[in-house]
Amino acid sequence: MANRKRSSNRPIQRKRRIDYMMGIRYVLLILGFTIVVIPMFYMVISSLKDNATTFLYPPKLFPAIEDITFMNYTYIIENVNFFRYLLNTVFVSLTTVVISGIFSTLLAFSFARLKIPGKNILFGFVISIMLIPGLAMLIPQFELASKLGLINKIWGVILFYSAWVIPFSTFLLKGYIIDNIPYELDESIYVDGGNEFSVYFHIIIPMASPAIAAVSILNFLFPFEELGWSQAILKSDNIRTMPVAITMFFQAHNRTDWGFVFAMTTLAMVPVVLFYLLLQKYFVSGLTSGSIKG
Amino acid sequence: MISQAVIKHKKKRRTNWRIWAIFLPGFLFVTAFTFYPMIKMFVMSFFDWKIGFQQVSTFVGLRNYIDVLSDPTAHIAIENTLVYAVVTVPVQMILGLFVAVLVNGIRKYSVSFRLAYYLPVITSWVVVALLFRYIFATSGLLNYFLVDTIKLISEPIGWLSTRWAALCAIMLLGIWKGIGWNMIVFLAALQAVPKDQYEASDIDGASRIQKFFYITLPNIKGTTLFILVMLTIGAFNTYTPVAVLTAGNPAHQTEVVLTWMYFQTFSALNFGYSAALSIIITALIVIATIIVFGLSAKKKVTHYGK
Repeated sequence: MANRKRSSNRPIQRKRRIDYMMGIRYVLLILGFTIVVIPMFYMVISSLKDNATTFLYPPKLFPAIEDITFMNYTYIIENVNFFRYLLNTVFVSLTTVVISGIFSTLLAFSFARLKIPGKNILFGFVISIMLIPGLAMLIPQFELASKLGLINKIWGVILFYSAWVIPFSTFLLKGYIIDNIPYELDESIYVDGGNEFSVYFHIIIPMASPAIAAVSILNFLFPFEELGWSQAILKSDNIRTMPVAITMFFQAHNRTDWGFVFAMTTLAMVPVVLFYLLLQKYFVSGLTSGSIKG
Repeated sequence: MISQAVIKHKKKRRTNWRIWAIFLPGFLFVTAFTFYPMIKMFVMSFFDWKIGFQQVSTFVGLRNYIDVLSDPTAHIAIENTLVYAVVTVPVQMILGLFVAVLVNGIRKYSVSFRLAYYLPVITSWVVVALLFRYIFATSGLLNYFLVDTIKLISEPIGWLSTRWAALCAIMLLGIWKGIGWNMIVFLAALQAVPKDQYEASDIDGASRIQKFFYITLPNIKGTTLFILVMLTIGAFNTYTPVAVLTAGNPAHQTEVVLTWMYFQTFSALNFGYSAALSIIITALIVIATIIVFGLSAKKKVTHYGK
């Protein structure tokens, strides 16, 4: 074992202590693991019980095999527009990622590199939006959406989501450009007779791609989370995103059909978990690129 | 210095139309969808605002603000939001850092633990809030565990039927969901701490605790501030868990600012009132952020001051 090897030339006392600490770490981590995972496990288990069983007392974390049923999943797939909601959410996510990606890379490039009068104040403005909860501007945004004919339109969530996520994306990207892309590269383009557009396309976009990937992932997940605004805008069933659809389904089922509800939420989690597993390393770099230098 | 030379070069490129073409689209987009509503909201907060056809909005001065500040439910909502922020932010950070230190210290299965602790983070708020609503029901899993398994209490608690019990449930949800995020960000910071500092302190015979307070903490200060700011903003932004878990019940006792505003907007149609409430919550967030930055700036002086 690596840790034996490292400590082999130290007194035995020391080695024992290290192993003992290691044991404590694992015990604590497993304890925390249990607390974190039990609710999720319970959700999946409850999705496999029929609705009446979910009300039985005492509740069972490990039900008998004969009580397990896949009926809830069949119900959801046959009676609920589940894949429609999933498709809507993915569509909102992708368009939000693209729109906010274009605008925030342009803004980050401007703030990091270009000579704009009053740049610091303008940057302060954009950053200050991060402080204001998206929902706090509910009424004027709703009025604006209604003026633009965006009520009950899927673009009504896409455009506002994009605007909400741009400040944080700009903040992360600007930091990344300043810290990781040497200005000499920009200069080499200018010396060769290139202009700001060529710097943007040939230096900034390719060199900032790890950070762009990271903010794209964050922004992609936003529509899978947001409830207040989407609930206000998306009234028709066929354009609803997942959070609205789940909430509406829960309310429509008298807040009691837990078997159905958990089958739907478990299904809704599958794509998100897969997405996370696939892009795990970008998640971390995205969360931390703005923080380490802080 | 190199940076000075860079600045000099940068200055050489004049502001031209291309620069505006790069800057303005994004800026105007953000302006249209967030600045403009923000200013509009400020204006609205001084009016008895109507949105119906042919209805006239009348200027009422500070009346909306007086209404909010004299409304007991608004007090409860603001109080709940502050309690939520003051409790969940530090608890999440401490637990997240603790887990990060543990995960950083093990050699096997660290990826599996990271994944497990991150699971609640990627799960949508709606999903986890529904789940907690089920678990915290009076005949739910938690009461069963407390009453029948470990026999800590004799009677089941009506978690979602009184103000403070329901707030406990909401805060536990917030903490439970947030630990993984804190852990991941802290872990990245811990891994960036220079190893030679620990090695040097080994030679000096520093204890584990000493190493944590004199090497680890100073090195992850930037990250701690980042997390603190993000979590504080996030805490004031709480809407979904409350909307789903309690919907403000019983009798608006568990409202937070955003759920109360949502209710005033879409159920009570008091637009001016909601706008005033928005301005107040925004002011609170700005004050909270200034306090956070102020505290950390002070620390920075004491640490690097010598």
